Parts: sequence; C-alpha cells; structure tokens
Amino acid sequence: MSVKKTEFKRMIRRYFKIPTNVLGTLLLIIFIIIAILAPVICPPKAGADPFKIPIATWSAAPVAPTADHPFGIIGGRDIFYGVIWGTRSAFKIGLVVSLISALIGVVVGSISSYFGGWVDEIMMRITDIFMSIPFLVAAMIMTTILGKGLDKVMVALIIFGWMRVARLIRGNILQAKSEQYVLAAKALGIPDWKIIVKHILPNTIFPVLVQVSMRIGSLVITAAALSFLGVGAEPGYADWGTILSYSRNWMTELDKSWFAILYPGTAMVLFVLAWNLVGDGLRDTFDPKMK
Amino acid sequence: MNKDKRPLLEVKDLTTYFHTEDGLVKAVDGISYEVFPGETLGIVGESGCGKSVNALSIMRLLESNADVGGSISFEGQSLPELSERKMRGIRGNDIAMIFQEPMTALNPVFTVGNQIEEAIILHQNKSQDEAHKMAIDMLRKVGIPEPTKRVDEYPHELSGGMRQRAMIAMALSCNPRVLIADEPTTALDVTIQAQILELMKSLQDEYGMSIIMITHDLGVIAEVADRVVVMYAGKVVEYADAVTLFKNPKHPYTWGLLNAIPRLDIEQDTLYNIPGVVPDPLHFPEGCKFNTRCTFCEERCKKEEPELIEVEKNHYARCFFIEKVEKEKAKTKAGENL
Repeated sequence: MSVKKTEFKRMIRRYFKIPTNVLGTLLLIIFIIIAILAPVICPPKAGADPFKIPIATWSAAPVAPTADHPFGIIGGRDIFYGVIWGTRSAFKIGLVVSLISALIGVVVGSISSYFGGWVDEIMMRITDIFMSIPFLVAAMIMTTILGKGLDKVMVALIIFGWMRVARLIRGNILQAKSEQYVLAAKALGIPDWKIIVKHILPNTIFPVLVQVSMRIGSLVITAAALSFLGVGAEPGYADWGTILSYSRNWMTELDKSWFAILYPGTAMVLFVLAWNLVGDGLRDTFDPKMK
Repeated sequence: MNKDKRPLLEVKDLTTYFHTEDGLVKAVDGISYEVFPGETLGIVGESGCGKSVNALSIMRLLESNADVGGSISFEGQSLPELSERKMRGIRGNDIAMIFQEPMTALNPVFTVGNQIEEAIILHQNKSQDEAHKMAIDMLRKVGIPEPTKRVDEYPHELSGGMRQRAMIAMALSCNPRVLIADEPTTALDVTIQAQILELMKSLQDEYGMSIIMITHDLGVIAEVADRVVVMYAGKVVEYADAVTLFKNPKHPYTWGLLNAIPRLDIEQDTLYNIPGVVPDPLHFPEGCKFNTRCTFCEERCKKEEPELIEVEKNHYARCFFIEKVEKEKAKTKAGENL
C-alpha cells in the first residue's frame, strides 16, 4: 500500500509542477470556498429559500454598486448575493449534469462496443439521432416541455449530453479490445467483466475524465444561455445566467448596467477557465499514454 | 524418444477456418501433433502459415468468426467441449501463453507486480500480500534485478528484455503444465534473445513444464526444441525430432529453409532464398500447397495433394518426391567438399 501512496504523491507533485495547473486548482478552491461559505457571506433571510435572490428595491432600473450592494442591483435583485449563491448553482449544474451524462455515456458506449454486432448498430444509430438535434434547440424544447426551473434545465442537459462520451468510450474500447494485453489477460483466464472493468476501462477512461472536467465549465455557460433566453432557471433564482438575463433589457445602456454583465460574467469566465486548466492538468498527469 | 509416456496435449486434425466477406480462409487445415510432459515442441513456419492461429485455437481465444474443428485433448479433457468457465480455469493455470510483443502485452496502466498478482489471486486463492510476495519471487526467478523495486514499476519503466521476462514471470506464476510461447524472442535483439531462451530452458528444468515454441526462426528451434513441426499454409509439411530434422530434412520446404540460413563456414556469394511468398490464404493453389515455390515441382504436385507419410521411424513429411530432395542434398554436400 505504501508504494501506491508514494506513486500517488509523485503524480501530485508532477501535477503541481506546472503553473497553469496551480492557477486552475487555486481558482477552483476559491470557488469551492465561496460556495461553502455562501450562507456566511450572504446570509439568507430566515425561512426564505436561500437560492431566491432577495428583492432589494422595487424599481426596475439598475442601481450602481454601493457599500450595501457592492455589485449593484439589477431587476431589483442584489447582484452580489446572486453571484455568491450562483457559485453553488454553478457547481450543482456542472457536477451533476456532467457526471450523470458521462455515466450514461460510459454505460452506453461500453455495452455497444462490448457486444458489437446489431446491439452496437442500434445503440449507435440512437446516439446519432440524439446528436443530429442541435443541442441548444433540443435543450430549449425540453425545458419548454418540462417547465421552468434549474432542475428541469439539468434534466434537459443530461438527456442531450451523453452522446459524445458514449462515442468516445466506444471508440476507445474498440481500440483497446484489440490490444495484446487484453489477449494476454484472456490467456491468463481472467473473466470478461474483469477485463472490461480492470484492463479496458482504465485505459479508456482518461479522455472521458478530461472531457467531463472541461464540460463542467461549459455546461455552466450553456445553462446560463438557457437562462438568458428565458427558458432556464425561474426569475430571481441565484444563478449567473439569470442575472445576465436581467441585463438583457439594458444592453443598449451599458453605462448604466455594466456591473450586471461584468460580475456574473467574470465569475463565469473564471469558473470555466478553472475547470479547463484542471482538466488539461489532469490529462497531462494521469493519462499513462502521455508519460 | 518419449513414446513410452502419454502425451500431455494431443492435437488431432485441428482445423481453424475463418468465415470472411471474401470467402473461407483455411488458416489451419488439419494439423496433428502431441506434446509430451517436459519436452519442447517447436512449431516453425513463415508468417501467415497458421502458427499463431493454431495456438489461439488451443486456448480458445479466437473471435467468434473462427470455426475450430478437430480434437484438442489436454490430460484427457477435450478442450473444445469445456464450458467457458472451466476453460478460464485452464487458461493461465494449466496452459499459459507468452506473446511476441513485450511492449504491448503488458497493460500500461498497472504495475508489473499487479499484473502478475492478478493471475495468482485468481487461480490460487492467495491473499493480496501473499500474491505480492510470490510476484517478487517470480521476478527474481526470471532474473529481473531488484525485484522488490521492479515489482512496483510500470511496464514503460522496463526495457524490452525485462518486459519479456516479466511476461514470462506472469505466465509461469501459476506453474502451468504447458507454456505456449508465440514468437517470444522475435521483438528482442540477439543477445537478449539468447538470454530469454536460456531462461526458458532453465525454468523448464525447474518446473518440468512442456513448451510449445512457435517461431519462424530456425535458430531458436535448434536452440530449444526436442521435436519440430514444420508448417506451411495451414498444414504440417514435416514432423520429426529436432536432430533428425536439421540433419536430414525430407520436405523441399524444410530443406529450403535450412539452406536459407547464412553460413559462416563456407564462402557464399548470394544467400539462398525460397522463391516467392506464402500464397494468399483465400487462393491456395490446387494440389500441393507448396507447388508455386518448389524447385522440384512436377505435374502431379499441381493436381493432387500428398499425404503426410512416415518416411522413417517418427519422421513424417508431406511430399511425393522426397528422393529428389535427397539427390539435391547429396549434390550440395559434394559441392561443400570441393
């Protein structure tokens, strides 16, 4: 066991040798801390849903940042509160959607490539059908059917988000299946399921992990786009996209509403950047083929 | 030599056909041989003559488009009739296999030790710790320096020769009765080749296992084999003990192969080679499969296929015109004496 630990330490050290990995991890840690400390930084009103941004003013006009509302007010909502609690929403969307859709993709891809033949044919054609529908349009239609709300958006994103992983894992498994170490493992009498789980998946899962970590960032943007278009989270929900959607009416008057774009926008950019840097770093460090 | 003993592995009329889109490929077409306890059987032939397919047929590791016929009996059990589960119990435990490419036959994401332990845990019901100790012992036995350190290294951290040693350690970890070595030294340089063969021989003495050595290299055969099967286009063309085969080849193909070995003791302007290439398995010639390349070919060879006949005791060859080879041999011998 001790040996495995030192190997792990070596990987960690290699990971942190690269400055961009450190930057990405730091950004991510900051976001995690903000998400954890959200109730301390912006205590919600007792009894109220913390994900509802409290109404600060009844005037619809944007209010420039003040000491009480450091990021300003838009649509009557406090932007600072929205950005802080929006971090939690961002993690929720990113992690839940990317992990569940990756899991579906891995299952579909593994079954498809392992059984091959007509099973593969049918499953891949279904995948093709899902892929042929433009993602944003599909997600919009889904949310229209399911109704408003962040959880509905997440369901829509999962339904139309597993295909890439399925294809990726299928291709990788097909390739790994013909590797000699798989034959060698079979020649040692190792059962099929163990060969898939132990010998094939570890050799194919890394690109998926990298894709998952990169997708976490971009999913937040997609969810924000849906919110911006008005088919995402319900109004007043603590979500970066929702705040941006408030600024939609003031886009021609940037001098009055810049803060409503700048702060949630910056949060979003940094969040995506953090995940991309971490994803790249993970690939470079843990993918055995990159050594 | 071993006729008093019962064979450990007996292959009879083994056929392996592949149904492909272009037609039926008869990769292995009715081969028979036996392997006795503790001996080394060499299977030699050019690329594409069915050597490896033969090995994979025994292990039942071919894809589903392969059609395997004939009988394979191991210690009285008929391997093709065993359930997949029982067959898995035989693979690795009773019959193990090592492969040509040590670079790709080890899984890159696991340590060498981990891969050796896997087989031990699977077949011998050992705990992780015991298996780890056994893996270190195995690595020491196959001559890997610092086994306690190497056991936790990844395949990419080892050299080609060391990886092949690790492969051998993996294959021998469960003390198999038969080891099938599919071109184990082809990817290695000559010095390492000699070391690996030496190692296999000494391990054979220690464990008493039988080895099926599949190779295209007659040098390897000369080094290790007790008896030799010469294959051509999916068929056995000659079958004899190693000494006889090298001294007194009967089939034109074997004779050609032996002639093609460069010699240091005589002056040679050009190296001899067998003209042509192995025919495409989809379009094997009529009659004797070797007729397209044989210097002694006559009309009869193009019409009927010769049977494998016993030309002397325990020496079989598949040719109509063995006496022609004899004449030619006598000529070259006479030439040598000049």
